[in-house]
Amino acid sequence: MSPTPASGPRWAIPFHELALLLAIGLVFGLTGLADGNHTYFTKFNESAIIILRNTSLLGIMALGAAVVIIAGGIDLSSGSMVAFSATTCALVMVLFAEEGDKRLATVGSLGVICGISAGVLAGFLVGTLHTWLVTAIKLPPFVATLATLVGLRSFARAMCEFVTKQEWGNSANQINVNAPFFLWLKQHNVWISTGVFLVLAVFTWIILSRTVLGRHIYALGGNEQAARLSGIRTENIKWFAYCFGAVTASIAGIFAMADGSVAQPVNLARGYELNAIAAAVVGGCSLQGGIGTVTGTVLGTLFLRLVIDAVAKLIKSNADVYEGMIVGIVVALAVTLTQVRQLVRNGGEFFAGTRGIAAIPTLALAAGLLAMMSGANVDSLKGWLYVFGAAVGFAALIALSAIKLIEVKRRRGA
Amino acid sequence: MTDKHPIISIRGISKAFPGVQALSEVTIDVEAGELHAICGENGAGKSTLMKILSGVLTDYEGELLLAGKPIRFAGTRDAEAAGVSIIHQELNLVEQLSAAANIFLGREIRGWLGFRDDRAMEEAAGRLLRELECDVSPRALAGSLRVGDQQLIEIAKALSLQSDILIMDEPTSALTESEVSRLYRVIERLRKRGVTILYISHKMDEVFHLSDRITVLRDGRWVKTLDTKATTAREITHLMVGREIEAVNFGTARQPGEVLLRVENLSLPWPGHARGWRLKDVSLELRRGEVLGIAGLMGAGRTELLECLFGATTERPTGRIELLGQTVNFRHPREACRAGIALVTEDRKRLGLFAAMNVGENVSICTLDQTGAAGFISRASEWRAAAETVNRLAVKTAGLSAAITSLSGGNQQKCIIGRWLQTRPQVLLLDDPTRGVDVGAKAELYRLIDGLVRDEAGLSPAGTGGIGVIMTSSELPELLTNCDRILVLSEGRLTASFSRAEATEQKIMEAATIGARLAG
Repeated sequence: MSPTPASGPRWAIPFHELALLLAIGLVFGLTGLADGNHTYFTKFNESAIIILRNTSLLGIMALGAAVVIIAGGIDLSSGSMVAFSATTCALVMVLFAEEGDKRLATVGSLGVICGISAGVLAGFLVGTLHTWLVTAIKLPPFVATLATLVGLRSFARAMCEFVTKQEWGNSANQINVNAPFFLWLKQHNVWISTGVFLVLAVFTWIILSRTVLGRHIYALGGNEQAARLSGIRTENIKWFAYCFGAVTASIAGIFAMADGSVAQPVNLARGYELNAIAAAVVGGCSLQGGIGTVTGTVLGTLFLRLVIDAVAKLIKSNADVYEGMIVGIVVALAVTLTQVRQLVRNGGEFFAGTRGIAAIPTLALAAGLLAMMSGANVDSLKGWLYVFGAAVGFAALIALSAIKLIEVKRRRGA
Repeated sequence: MTDKHPIISIRGISKAFPGVQALSEVTIDVEAGELHAICGENGAGKSTLMKILSGVLTDYEGELLLAGKPIRFAGTRDAEAAGVSIIHQELNLVEQLSAAANIFLGREIRGWLGFRDDRAMEEAAGRLLRELECDVSPRALAGSLRVGDQQLIEIAKALSLQSDILIMDEPTSALTESEVSRLYRVIERLRKRGVTILYISHKMDEVFHLSDRITVLRDGRWVKTLDTKATTAREITHLMVGREIEAVNFGTARQPGEVLLRVENLSLPWPGHARGWRLKDVSLELRRGEVLGIAGLMGAGRTELLECLFGATTERPTGRIELLGQTVNFRHPREACRAGIALVTEDRKRLGLFAAMNVGENVSICTLDQTGAAGFISRASEWRAAAETVNRLAVKTAGLSAAITSLSGGNQQKCIIGRWLQTRPQVLLLDDPTRGVDVGAKAELYRLIDGLVRDEAGLSPAGTGGIGVIMTSSELPELLTNCDRILVLSEGRLTASFSRAEATEQKIMEAATIGARLAG
C-alpha cells in the first residue's frame, strides 16, 4: 500500500501535432514534385504568400472557434460576424468621411481608428449576446449561434441600406472602401494579417496553457458541473470564450474588408464559420469540449489551406471550386486517423455490415465523378472523359469490394 | 439441475490494458444454479472479468466455456443470445423512454405489418415488473424512476431475455434498505427459477446473506474460492486486502472545540412539487474537531443540505447560516470555497472528476490562483503542491500526469479530497464519500477523516487545529463508525439527533422513516 512517488513525465508527447507537421511536410513535398512546374520549389515566396494570406484569415477565426469548442460550446456565427464587423467598420467610416466624398477615398485616421474599434467592439457585443443567450436564457450554444449566424448578416445589410440612404441619399447593399489606410493594408495584407494571426496565436497559447483562465476553460469544457462545484465561475469563462470567438471573427472581418476593398454584408465570408470549425477539429479539438491545443489549431489551419492550394495546383483550376470537398475529406480523414489505431486494435472494419456494403457504391461513384472532372484539364483524355470517369469509378468499386471481401474473410477466419 | 460441466468455466483468462495487467491467469468454475459472489478491492479485476463474461470486452487471452463448450463472444448481443445478462453498477437505461420500451430496447415486439406493438410490450413489461414486486407503470419514463426501480427494470430486461446467467455488479450501492430487502426477495425468486447469479459486492453482510460460494480476486489474480458456510467475513476481507484490517474504531477521545458552522431554520423551496420544499426548518451546529453525520433515505434531502451549505443550489435557500460567527449567504460555490467550506460530491464521475485531465490537474483545479501571480499558473509550484497532496494521502498512481480515469475509485476519491484539502477548508462536507470504494480504501478514508478532525500528521490546514466534517452515507454502519453525532433527515425535515453513544441502526431507521409514515 505504499504510495507510488508522483513522478513521470509532466506533459505527454503531442502526437497529433507531430502527425500534422509530418502531413504538412508530405503534402508540400509531394505537390512540389508532382506539379509540372514545381511551383512550390521554384516560386516558393509567391506560393507561400498565397497560402499565408488564406491561412491567416482562416486561422484567426479558427483560434476563436477553438477556444469556444474547448470551452464546450460552439460558435456557428463567425462567418456572419466577419461580415457584420466589416460592415460596421465601413459604416462608421462613412459617418466620418468628408462631406464632399462619401465614397470613402478620404477618411481621416480618426475615422479609420473609430471604424476598426467599432468593428471589434461589435464582436465583443455579439459575444456578450451569445453568453447571455446561453447562460441566462439557457439556449443550447448551437441554437443561439445559429440564430446569430442567420440574423447578423441580415442585420448588417439592413444597417448598410439604412445608413447609405441617410448619408448618400440612395440605399446601397455594399460599401467600397478606398481609404488610403485600407489600400495600404491590402498591399501589405499578407505580412500584417500573418503577423496579427501569429500574435493572436501566441496570446491564445499563453491564455490556454499558462493561465488559470485557460485551465478553467478546459475544466468547463471537460465537465461543466464539476467545474461549477469546484468554485469556477463558469458563466464568466463562457463570457470570455464567446467574446474571444466573436472578436477574433471581427478582426478577421477587418482584414477581409481590406482584402476586397469592399464591405459587402450579403456574401462576405459566407460559410467561413464551418471552415474555421473544421480547422479546429483537424487540429485536434474535440467537439465534446475540454480537449484541444493552439499549436494543433494553427497546424490544422495550415494543413487545410495547403491541401486546398495543392489540389488546385495539381488540377489547375480555381482553388474555390474544390474547397468544400477538400475540407470535407480532410476533416473526415483527420478524425478517422486519430481513431484508426483504436479501430485496428478492436479488430474493427471499414465496411462493417450492410451499411458497409451500401457505402461502397457511393464512394466509388464519387471517385469516378471526381476523376472525370479533374481529368478535364488533361489533353490526352480529350473525348474520353466519360469513359475515364466510368473506368475509375469501376476500379474503385472493385478495390473497395475487395477490401470488404478481405474483411469478411478475416472475420470468418478469426 | 447440476450438470457434469460447470455452467461457466473461466480458464486462464488474462487481460492487459496499456500499463496495467488487469487480469492474469484467472480460473474459476461456476456451478449451475448457484449464487457465486466475487469479492475483491477496486482494481482487483472483478469488473474486467465481468465485462469479458458479458461480451463487453472481446479481446483477451484464455478460454471461456459455457456448459462445457468453448465460446467467444463478439459483443454483448452474442452474450445475451447465449443467456448471459449483466446489470451494471451504472445503469444503462434510456431515460427519455418508458420502462417497457427500455425492457424491450433492441428487441421490440412487432405486430401488424411490422409496426411496433407498444401495447404488447407494455403488457409483457407489466407482467415482468409485477413479478419483481415493482409497482411502477410500464409507461413511466425510466428517467423519472428511483434508482431501485430503474435497477428492477434492468433485471426485468434480463428476465425477458430468458437469461440463465445473471451478473450483478454492486447492485445495492445506490439502494435504500427497503429496496435492498426487495432485491433480496427478487434474487431468491430468480434462484428458484434456476438462474445462476454472479454477484459482485464489497458488502460482507450481503455476500454472506446471499451467496453459496465466494471467489476472492486480488490484483488481477484468483486468490481463493470458498464455501460461504465454511468461512467468515474476517477471512474474506483478509484475503481481499492481503492483510487484516484492524477494527476501525476511533473517536472516543475526540475533543470538539468552538462552533464552526451554525445553521438556523434552513429551508429550500421545491417549486412545482406537491411538498413544496426539499428542506424545511433544518437547524444544526458543527464544532471544530468533530464529524457530524447526516442519515436519511434517498430523497430525504442529504445532498441538498450539503449543497445549501456550499451555495450550490439553483433555488436560493432561506434561513440563516453562520460560519465562525459571521452570517454568510453564498450565491456561488466560489464564495463558499473562499470562506473555507469544501464539498466532495456524491457522484464522482458526473460532478467531481475532469476525465480529460490528468491526476495533477485534477488535484490542483481549485487552487490554481495560489500557484502564480496575476492569473498565471506556475507549473512548478502547481506540481509541487499536487505531488505533496498525492503523497500525503497515499494515492496509488503511476504519476501526476497519469490519466485520472486510470485510477481506482478509492484513489480517485482521495484525489478529490486532496483537491479540497489544498484549499485549506475549515469545514469539509463529504457526500457519501465511500460510494464505489472498496473495503481497504474505505478504512483508509475513515482514518483520513479522523486525522483531519484531530489535526494529526499535518493532514489538515496548518495553524487551524482540526477541521469540522459533515458526512452523509447510504450505509449506516459507516456513520456509526465515523461520526460523533448523527442527525436524521426524513422528507426534508430533521427528525432526530443522536450522540455517538445513543445511536443505533434501529433508532436511525425509525427516525428516517417517520416522514414517510406520516405521509402514508
